[in-house]
Amino acid sequence: MTNDAVALDHVVRLHVFGEAAATGRVPQAKRIAESLGRGEDDIRAALQRLAAGKVLILAPNGGDIWAANPFCAVPSGIRVRVGDTTYWGICIWDALGIAAVLGRDALISAPCGDCGAELSYEVLDGELADADGLIHFAVPAHHWWDNIGFT
Amino acid sequence: MTMLAFRSEGHLDRWCEQRDIPRGGVLTPEQAWRLARAWYGRKLEPDWRRHTLEEAEEVLTDIGLTGDFWNLRG
Repeated sequence: MTNDAVALDHVVRLHVFGEAAATGRVPQAKRIAESLGRGEDDIRAALQRLAAGKVLILAPNGGDIWAANPFCAVPSGIRVRVGDTTYWGICIWDALGIAAVLGRDALISAPCGDCGAELSYEVLDGELADADGLIHFAVPAHHWWDNIGFT
Repeated sequence: MTMLAFRSEGHLDRWCEQRDIPRGGVLTPEQAWRLARAWYGRKLEPDWRRHTLEEAEEVLTDIGLTGDFWNLRG
């Protein structure tokens, strides 16, 4: 990888994650390009490299960001409320990760995988203050990236 | 996405049975929180990088996530 590519990937990463953290919305290639004053093709190439490096996940269409983990780019049933901003988590681990990376008090709501009842997880002063139920990972750890969407 | 929350063991068992998915790794909410902090806590930092395999293994072990299911090497 060229030095230019390394530098661009770094700038794109900081921009994508910074905007996701600040607004709850993950920017896509066109908007990233406009914000950074770069060509959209260059940005798409950077996103492909970041995905290959498992920094973020691209949608099956290969172009759009599905998740800049822990921030999910599309609405999901797992929501994280931090101040006046609502974030989406692609899974419960990522939802907790949103609270962790922002370092702020948060209220997470997630449906029970079985019955759909809403479960709550509250983070206060960096600690899990209140939590329901249990967490389950179906895919063994060494297979997590075989099909990250299923995981 | 199969990293999910469940109301109880019974709800988890029913989910596994209905989908014919073997029971995997179960975490307490506190373990999941510790995992989230260790995994994502610094991801907004300019000098963030992914954990090495050894670092990731240490994260899991420190949280008590041990055994074949949590083996990152396969």
